[in-house]
Order: sequence, then C-alpha cells, then structure tokens
Amino acid sequence: MSKVLRKFTMRKISILIISILISASISNAQGKLYNTLIKGGRVIDAKNNINALLDVAIKNGKIAKVAQNIDPAQAEQVVNAKGMYVTPGLIDVHAHVFWGTQPNSYLMNGDVGVTADGFSFRSGVTTMVDCGGPGYKSFEIFKRNIIDKSQTRILAFLNIVGEGMRGGDYEQDVSDMDYRLAAKAAIDNKKHVVGFKLAHFTNPDWTPVERVVAAGKLADMPVIIDFGGGKLPIEDLFFKYLRPGDIYTHVFTELERRDPIVDLKTRQLRPFVIPAQKRGIIFDVGFGGGSFNFNQAIPAIKAGFLPDLMGTDLHTGSMNGSMKDQLNVLSIHLAMGMDLPSVIERSTWKPAQAIKRTELGHLSEGAIADVAILSMREGKFGFRDIAMNRYEGAKKLECEMTIKGGKIMYDLNAIASNLSR
Amino acid sequence: MNNLPTIFSFMQKKLYLLSFLLIYSFCNLNAQNNSNSKRIYGIVIKGGHLIDPKSNINEPMDIATEIATPSVMGQPAVEPRIALIAKNIDTALALQVVNSKGMYVTPGLIDIHTHVFYGHSKTDYLSNGSIAVLPDSYTFRTGVTTVVDAGGAGWKSFPTFKKNIIDLSATRVFSMLNIVGEGMRGGDFEQDIEDMDPEKTATVAIENKDHVVGFKLAHFSKADWTPVERLTKAGRTADMPVMVDFGSGNQSLEELFFKYLRPGDIYTHSFCYVPGVREPIIDTETKLVKPFVRKAQQNGLIFDIGFGSGSFDYRTALPAMKQGFYPNTLGTDLHASSINGAMKDQMNVFSVFLAMGMDIPSIVKAATWTPALTIKKPELGNLSQGAIADLTVMSIRDGDFGFKDIVGNRQEGR
Repeated sequence: MSKVLRKFTMRKISILIISILISASISNAQGKLYNTLIKGGRVIDAKNNINALLDVAIKNGKIAKVAQNIDPAQAEQVVNAKGMYVTPGLIDVHAHVFWGTQPNSYLMNGDVGVTADGFSFRSGVTTMVDCGGPGYKSFEIFKRNIIDKSQTRILAFLNIVGEGMRGGDYEQDVSDMDYRLAAKAAIDNKKHVVGFKLAHFTNPDWTPVERVVAAGKLADMPVIIDFGGGKLPIEDLFFKYLRPGDIYTHVFTELERRDPIVDLKTRQLRPFVIPAQKRGIIFDVGFGGGSFNFNQAIPAIKAGFLPDLMGTDLHTGSMNGSMKDQLNVLSIHLAMGMDLPSVIERSTWKPAQAIKRTELGHLSEGAIADVAILSMREGKFGFRDIAMNRYEGAKKLECEMTIKGGKIMYDLNAIASNLSR
Repeated sequence: MNNLPTIFSFMQKKLYLLSFLLIYSFCNLNAQNNSNSKRIYGIVIKGGHLIDPKSNINEPMDIATEIATPSVMGQPAVEPRIALIAKNIDTALALQVVNSKGMYVTPGLIDIHTHVFYGHSKTDYLSNGSIAVLPDSYTFRTGVTTVVDAGGAGWKSFPTFKKNIIDLSATRVFSMLNIVGEGMRGGDFEQDIEDMDPEKTATVAIENKDHVVGFKLAHFSKADWTPVERLTKAGRTADMPVMVDFGSGNQSLEELFFKYLRPGDIYTHSFCYVPGVREPIIDTETKLVKPFVRKAQQNGLIFDIGFGSGSFDYRTALPAMKQGFYPNTLGTDLHASSINGAMKDQMNVFSVFLAMGMDIPSIVKAATWTPALTIKKPELGNLSQGAIADLTVMSIRDGDFGFKDIVGNRQEGR
C-alpha cells in the first residue's frame, strides 16, 4: 500500500518538475520580463519622494521597476492606470478585525469587530493593524481565526489588558495589565505584533499608561493610546509618559470626558500640541464611531497641525456611519484642505515607519508589491463627522485596483488586461 | 463578435448607491422633535424618481415614512411603514428631509442569494465558516435591506445561525434551510443523502417561519434525483419554495424543471456555463435559449443569477439577454470569494445587467418585488402605503466602466 502511494507520489513529483521546467522554458523563450505592468498612472511614493507619471512593473510579487515608458510587450498583464494615482498599498493602523462569536466580548472575539477582507482591498488597503483587540491571553485565537484566514496582511497592537478589548470591567482591571507577559507575547509573535494598546480606561490613574509604556520599552515597540475618560491632562501624557514614536489616537475627538487638543472656549489649537508632535509623538485620526469632530479637526488643521496617521478605527459602529472606509477618511481630509500626497504619505510610508515595518508603504525596486490604484472623482460630495456636522468637498477618492504581494485582489472597472504569456 | 465575448467593456452607465435609508437608523429623531406636533412623518424623501415595480410607478414622486416608535434595545418596537406617496409632500411635516433630486428612490433591495453564516467552526465553508461573510458589512452600502442566506444552515445548525447572525444583524436576514441537516459544510457533508431529512428540515422551517423562507439544495455531484426529491418534499410539507444549485451531476434540466420543481421554485446560477458538468440553459452549438427553459419561466419557475465566483458567464449571459431571456431575480451569491472578484456587490450586478441592456425598472423589480413574492414576504420589496419602510436611494453615474465575468477574461475593443 505504502509502496503504491510512494510510487504515485514520485510520479506526481516528476510530473510537477517537468511541468515547472516546461513553463520556465516557455516564459524564457517569450521573454516576458514582468508579470504585471501598471501603465500611465501618476505614482505617489513618499519614501522615494516621487510624484510623477511613471509606469510600475511587478515581478514575482516584488516591485521590479519604476520608470517612464516601460514596454507593455514585456509584461504578461497590463493595467491601464491612465488618469489614476498609483500609490503603495495603504496601511490602516487602526482597525478592529477580531470578529468572533464569544458573547459580550466587544472587540475581542466579539461581534463588534469586522472581517478584514471585506473592507481592505476595496479601499486600497493591503495591511491592517488590529488596534488592541487581542491581549496576550487571546492572541492565539486571533492568529488562528483572523490572521491565518485573512488575505489582508493583519498585524496587531496587543492590548495591555491580558483579556484584550472585551469591554466593560475587563478593560478597567489594572491587575490584568501585566506588561511582562504582554511584552513576552509580543516578542514571541513579533512577525505579527507591532506594539501595544491601551484603551477605554476611565479612572484618573496613570498606572495603565505606565504599564503599556513599560511593555513598549521591554519589547522595543511603540504604544498607541486611546485616552479613556479619566480627564487626565494630555500635556502630561505627551511629555511625561509617552516616548517619541508612541502614538496618540482619536486626536480629533471632542468628548466631555477627554482632554481635547483644541481649546473648547477659544477654539484654538492648544500650544503644546505641535511641540509634542515635534518631540516625536505620533498623532492618529482613529475616526471610528465617536472620535472625529470637525470642531477639533478644522481649527487644528488651520493652525498648521496635520495628523500623522489616517487610521480608520473600523468596526461595526463606524463602517456604515460617517467613517465608512479608509478612502472616505482620506477624502474628508482632502475636503479640509490637505493635499493628496500628504494624505497618501499618512496612509503609507508614515504608518509603515510608525509600526517599524519599513518593508511596507513604498514602491522602491525590490519592495513587496503592495499597490493601490486610486482615481479622483470630481463633483459635489458631502461628509459628516460623528456629531453629524456636515462638510462639503469637491473631490472624492475611489479605489480602482488593489494589488497585494503582486496579486490583483480587486479590480473595480476591469482595467487589467487578459494574461498573455 | 462571433467568437465568445466574455466581457462588456466600457459601458456608459453604472448604478451607484448614493445614500441608503433603513428606518432603524433614525428612531432617535423622535425625542429631538417631540415639541413640534405638526410633524407627522419620520422622513420625507423629496424630488427623487420613484420606482415601485409592484405598483408600476416610474416617475418623480415624494415619499414619506411613518415616525418610528421609540426604540427598544436599539431596534424599533414597531417597524415604521410607508405613510404616503404623492407628487408634492410638504417638508414641514417631516422630522427629516432627504434631498434625492436626480436620484432613484426604490424599495429596499432584497438579495435572494447570499452566504452570511460567517463563523469560525473547524469545517470551514459556508455553514458557520469563514467563506461566508457578515451581512451588515455588505448590505446597506449597496442598497440592500434584506438578505436570504441560501442554504448555509441546515436544520441542525439553524439555532446557531439564528443566535450568531440573524439576532445580531441590523440587516433583515432570512434563511433557506439546506436540505442537508449539517448545512453547507462542503465536501462529503453535502453528498450525504442520509443527512437529507425532509421531515426534520420542514419541521424546523415551520417552527421558525419568521426567519425561514425556503429550502436549498447545492453542490451535489452525482446523477441521482434523490436529493431533489427530498428537497421538494420539504418544500411541499412546509409550503415554501426551494432553490436549486444543480451541482455537477450533469442531469437533465428539462426533467428538473418539469418533473420536480413547482412554479415559484428557484433555479439559481442560471447564467453559468459549465457544459458536461451542468447543463447550460443555452444550446452550446446554436447559442439559443432552450425552448423548455422559456416555457419553464412562463410557467412560473424563478431564474436567479447567483453570480458568485463561478456562476456568471458571458458565454451564457450575452446570448440569453440578446434573445430576451431575462433573469427573474438578481441574487449576488455573496461570499468571501465573490466580494472582491467580478461580482463585488448588488450594485455591480445591477450595473452588469444595465450594461447588457436590461432597463432600470426591470432590474429594480428583480431585486425587490419579484424576490419579495418568491419568498412570500409581500410586506417587503414595495412602496405601497403600509409596506415596511425599507428604502434605497441610488444614483446613476455616467462614464467609462468595465466589467468582468467569473472567467476573468477581458474583452479589448477591436
């Protein structure tokens, strides 16, 4: 029996080898240098300071060449990107994708998270960072159910709470914030874990912040802070507790329980915010279902403060609300006066650096071929913040194509040609 | 154009969902406006072009919804209804006004073919598995208010489906129970005739008739009529329609349509093209729609698209549409492999059919009133006074668009 099986396997292997040789010789004979060629688009690549009409060629999942007038005959498949923008695959540093069936578990294996693939590729996103769903106790389930089953590249900020983002009392339990175990889990899983999250803590107590930063120091990873409801001063947070490279999210929130960046009476950006950014504190939008308010964003941007990261805070409470998706968040910032290269940089190269994944977020030759192709619609568009204030814009981004690791994951208007080998 | 065209490239129109309203979302308006007693409508949608296939309305009209009763646990205590359709409704009577000038206003769309039984069970397909998707992520952004899960749950797994999906979704979710007790678990599970129990399946359907609207058979791979017999038996026992994915047994379509299915039953994946595996509705030589197929449709059999990731092929669709054979329903076959592929979403399926020459009222009908009648929910899919106030507002974009079929080939203009 085993002999027969072995014979069969051997035969299968030899057939496989022969077919590989044949296909290799065919592709050599016809001399197709590239798998995919993106032709005629405007490339925006912040890392390489590129904003120009260039073609992008992809081979074996990597960026092979970025140049003018690459010959389409050299590619198996040509993508017509004329009139479109070609950018690195977008990175959303603030998503909640730990969906699960555990009752009353909120964003940790509960029903408030979403599934990544339904939101990523159609918005140009190739990488999502789950923002504190799993803690060190639940990371294994997160890996098995979410990371391993998603086509989107999923990374994670581990919650400083061992139980993860289970809501309610779980997130108030300082005794479950074990920075050593959190750091150990992060180091053990450093392929997937990029930092630590603290969120939703409601007491005026610095202990949780101290614990999350301690974990960050042990693992040499950044932390991201949702600054709860303790009404502690953010100035102290920025200058006494966080390190350069740590992230403050929900930057444009206006909530009774949280110290805002724009003074509620004078409507002026508070004087320490830009110095904090200069010190290296990274500011994330984290739009979500309750964390983006025009009354904060507009005065702040007017005062010259631009957020560093365009995190969506994607979850069931934001996906059909004012937030919607990554491109809607970018479009809102365009409407408020930011330019396209700025919003692209803040959803590609800046987040890649913030999470120390500098192999992502750019289109250097040899880089992983994660690419977003976007078009800009012109018209009359309306946007809302989470308080239902309305704001109008004349431009809106639309995702035409998303490529991850060289593979076309989404093609809105069939702009890719047939394969020719 | 004699060779097989596989795509319609660069059509001029594309349906686009501009905004969508489900009455659930504005229950809170009540409290804000109680002081103003003359406001008698919840929402007035003003200035749109109303399409209500049930009532043959296809003209500019305003529409008003009832004021929602205060919500209980986030859901309205009583579902608000359509209050009035008229040429000109006074906006001062409404708590909220939607400006739909230049847009189409239709009943909330019903997607009769979805797979929303998402989960993390070990056998990992469309029954509590990760090939399914979660409804709310795909419905409202594409105008859909009601989905029918096509055979994810069987009678054994329906309680899990109800607890994990129906009860937790803002989308209205119905189920066509799989005739397989284990549901759509893939592989050998769906080949197990022993697990196809019409009595037990019908019993669970009747016990849950608020949520179950029919029965599904799918993916059976042998040339054996037993599964079809069991399925139709469940349908007759519960007085509910059945939906057939005709698997890969390459059995006679004519026999299926005339010997086994009843008027009102549903044949899905109508525009697939896999000769030798499953009989196509067109003759592979002449490309003509087979006469018995037209006759079956005239007799009341419902032909669903069920686009999915393997079931919409221009080799069938283009000749059929050209010969005037239109599908009855435009089910998407939404699942993890179709959401980012050629199918994408309900609006994209609409746009594909618009590109092939189907007009907007017919398209709207195939995703509103026809599926409502098919699943026997006449309170849905229409805008008559008293109908449930599910509404979709969509606009049409002009431009150069491209579409693909599931074979993925693209036709270059020559």
